[in-house]
Amino acid sequence: MTYNPDTQMVGEGVKFERIRRITGYLVGTVDRFNDGKRAEERDRVKHDPTKC
Amino acid sequence: MLTSIIKRDGRVVIYDRNKIKMAILKAMEASGSTDFEKADLVTQAVEQHFNMQNSYATPSVEEIQDQVEHELMASGLDNVAKRYILYRASRNTIRERKSKLVKVFDEITFSDALDSDVKRENANIDGDTPMGTMLKYGSESAKDYFLKFLLSPDQAEAHRDGYIHIHDFDFYALTMTCCQIDLIKLFKGGFSTGHGFLREPNDIQSYSALACIAIQSNQNDQHGGQSIVNFDYGLADGVRKTYKKLYLKNIAKVCDVLGENVSYEQLKEMSAAITERCGAMPKITPDKTYVALELEELKKLCKDPAVAEKAQKFALEKTEDETDKATYQAMEAFIHNLNTMHSRAGAQTPFSSINYGMDTSDEGRMVMKNVLLATDAGLGHGETPIFPIQIFRVKEGINYNPGERNYDLFQLAIKVSAKRLFPNFSFQDAPYNLKYYNPDDVRTEIGYMGCRTRVVANTYDPNNEITYGRGNLSFTSINLPRLAIEAKGDEDLFYRNLKKYLDLCVKQLMDRFAIQKKKRVRNFPFLMGQGVWIDSEKLGIDDEVGEVIKHGTLSVGFIGLAETLTALYGKHHGESEEAQKKGLEIIGFMRRILDEYSDRFKLNFSLLATPAEGLSGRFVRIDKKRFGEIKGVTDKEYYTNSFHIPVSFEISAYDKINLEAPYHALTNAGHITYVEMDGDVSQNLEAFEAVVRCMKEAGIGYGAINHPVDRDPVCGYNGIIGDVCPRCGRRDGEGVPLEKLHRLGLYKHLNAATLGQCGNQFEEADRIPNKI
Repeated sequence: MTYNPDTQMVGEGVKFERIRRITGYLVGTVDRFNDGKRAEERDRVKHDPTKC
Repeated sequence: MLTSIIKRDGRVVIYDRNKIKMAILKAMEASGSTDFEKADLVTQAVEQHFNMQNSYATPSVEEIQDQVEHELMASGLDNVAKRYILYRASRNTIRERKSKLVKVFDEITFSDALDSDVKRENANIDGDTPMGTMLKYGSESAKDYFLKFLLSPDQAEAHRDGYIHIHDFDFYALTMTCCQIDLIKLFKGGFSTGHGFLREPNDIQSYSALACIAIQSNQNDQHGGQSIVNFDYGLADGVRKTYKKLYLKNIAKVCDVLGENVSYEQLKEMSAAITERCGAMPKITPDKTYVALELEELKKLCKDPAVAEKAQKFALEKTEDETDKATYQAMEAFIHNLNTMHSRAGAQTPFSSINYGMDTSDEGRMVMKNVLLATDAGLGHGETPIFPIQIFRVKEGINYNPGERNYDLFQLAIKVSAKRLFPNFSFQDAPYNLKYYNPDDVRTEIGYMGCRTRVVANTYDPNNEITYGRGNLSFTSINLPRLAIEAKGDEDLFYRNLKKYLDLCVKQLMDRFAIQKKKRVRNFPFLMGQGVWIDSEKLGIDDEVGEVIKHGTLSVGFIGLAETLTALYGKHHGESEEAQKKGLEIIGFMRRILDEYSDRFKLNFSLLATPAEGLSGRFVRIDKKRFGEIKGVTDKEYYTNSFHIPVSFEISAYDKINLEAPYHALTNAGHITYVEMDGDVSQNLEAFEAVVRCMKEAGIGYGAINHPVDRDPVCGYNGIIGDVCPRCGRRDGEGVPLEKLHRLGLYKHLNAATLGQCGNQFEEADRIPNKI
């Protein structure tokens, strides 16, 4: 893990991992999605489950 | 006089009238015209034209070809002219592509994956690594070659112009897509990977290791993902063997401690002899006859009969727990291996899936429980495992309702999926899955390949309507929105063109099949050489695979039903009942045509709800360029996945499921429905389960629930992270004071000095255990 002795901070520059599903497979980060799929992931809205 | 011409590269060469004549003859042949003597006349007319111009300027190739077109039409040879123009256009684009290929190579060589869509075509290949880049060169050149030399001009044009998309095109002439691997058949008697022989495994540890190797080996023989169809039944034998081994070792241990001279080898012989007599062996639920006979024999082996009793009692009490632990470790290793092992020149982690859920034996249940628990625990630092895709088979009478034997596992599957996104759920009771199911033959249980592929019906061999050892051969998708836009509201025209492209796809799949058919067993050392593919065990190493691959499917897929309906009728199927009706008509029409082809050729043509990773962006990009931005059709950066309701459309889970379910029945090559749930679903398992049950009741074949799964590598928090990590309070990319981490009980063995030395080490001791 990165440590900056000057500021005594741990983890500077380390990004959160956001696991998402793309065409059935999980991907560790949206950085590796292609442009179309990245846009698709951004547009997803949630589905209210209450009627189920 | 026409004596010389200027070539495209500027060189002047001597005019050769035969070249014109040959081109015309070829066009005649392609159009079915037999007026061969006219070829000469047209050539003469072209020459006359240039001679009459009375100019000394040397004509260019293009000018001559323009004139040939003109003369062909003037002579009433319209069809020949059309062929000539098509051929000319295709040659032109081929020339263009030559330079395009070089441009692609430039991009592969000099840009980062972050800036290059080409390098992110497949999210699971790291386009920045040397091997990933090498694969990309190969893939792009192969595509270029196949497009120029293997496809017929009309197929090449349709693929290039984005009417259709031939999937895994870089593997066009090489292999088939995927296969459902039957572990029991593969492990029996051991197998060879092509690099060495592996004996039949003897405990759960080696079963799990060999299962990984099977996936890895097969991935190198095919271009798609790999799936184990019977993970539960397949690994249960490993648990059985481990139990027996540990059981006898426990007896030996007690005997040893209590001063008896009875070795493990002796016990093995004794046990085998009893099994010979009564057919039973040591197992989790003990067989009474075996236990009684064993005690008799043990007493004969021991000096003191009381020791025999103690030893057996100890083994009966302790072995199950030890076997459970060993199984957990094996499952943990399985998942870790699948997330770290490499295939395809090291650039890719194998795409793996496992199906399970219906084995009710103690041993199969132990496998399932532990693979779920290992998934729940996550990888070394608690990360969510990316592989394998896990598919839990839901079946009434087995695991769906309280009181059923595997109901506890269904509950566990829900809990794990709510935390880790896997397992997905497949539904054996969906009518189109149930119809193939025979409770006496596990090979008829439904199987899905990770992303959605499904193979079960068998027109080629109706006696083998099973999932084991079969898979998809290749698939091609149709750009439905394009056909809808071009129809301009004319439904008849839309259907005529849809039929035209279905026919074209079938022809193209057949052409590809003709290439695949000629391959030999030696081309697939694992898939065919080890009998993984159905009936391949009957073939010799030099035999062609043509006959056995007829068990596979040839699939036509589609993308963007929502945009198609919007273009044709103004609304998509989420917005209007009428549109839903129309949507089902379109997809039903496609299915009917493919069924007819299946009957006609006695092959398995099937209809796929295409997953479309790279494709979703590609089609819409081309269409936006062609037709401009059309509201609800080309105004996004992607076309909607298969028959899905658009991801941005507000709809309840219930409505989405019920609108999509009827399409599952039609898409026999595979389908999946997703529901997006908000918030931390692991805190709301009732809602999660309700969605799964809703899918089952609606007749969904295969479904999954998406929800946010985030992780902060700094403090190890796993869950939902908005802008700020709920555990350590940092924002994306920010640092956290070491002192604060210490207060949280993290990094407690680390200080400013050791942190630097440790590099990326995240102390095991600092991890928060995942409660199960």
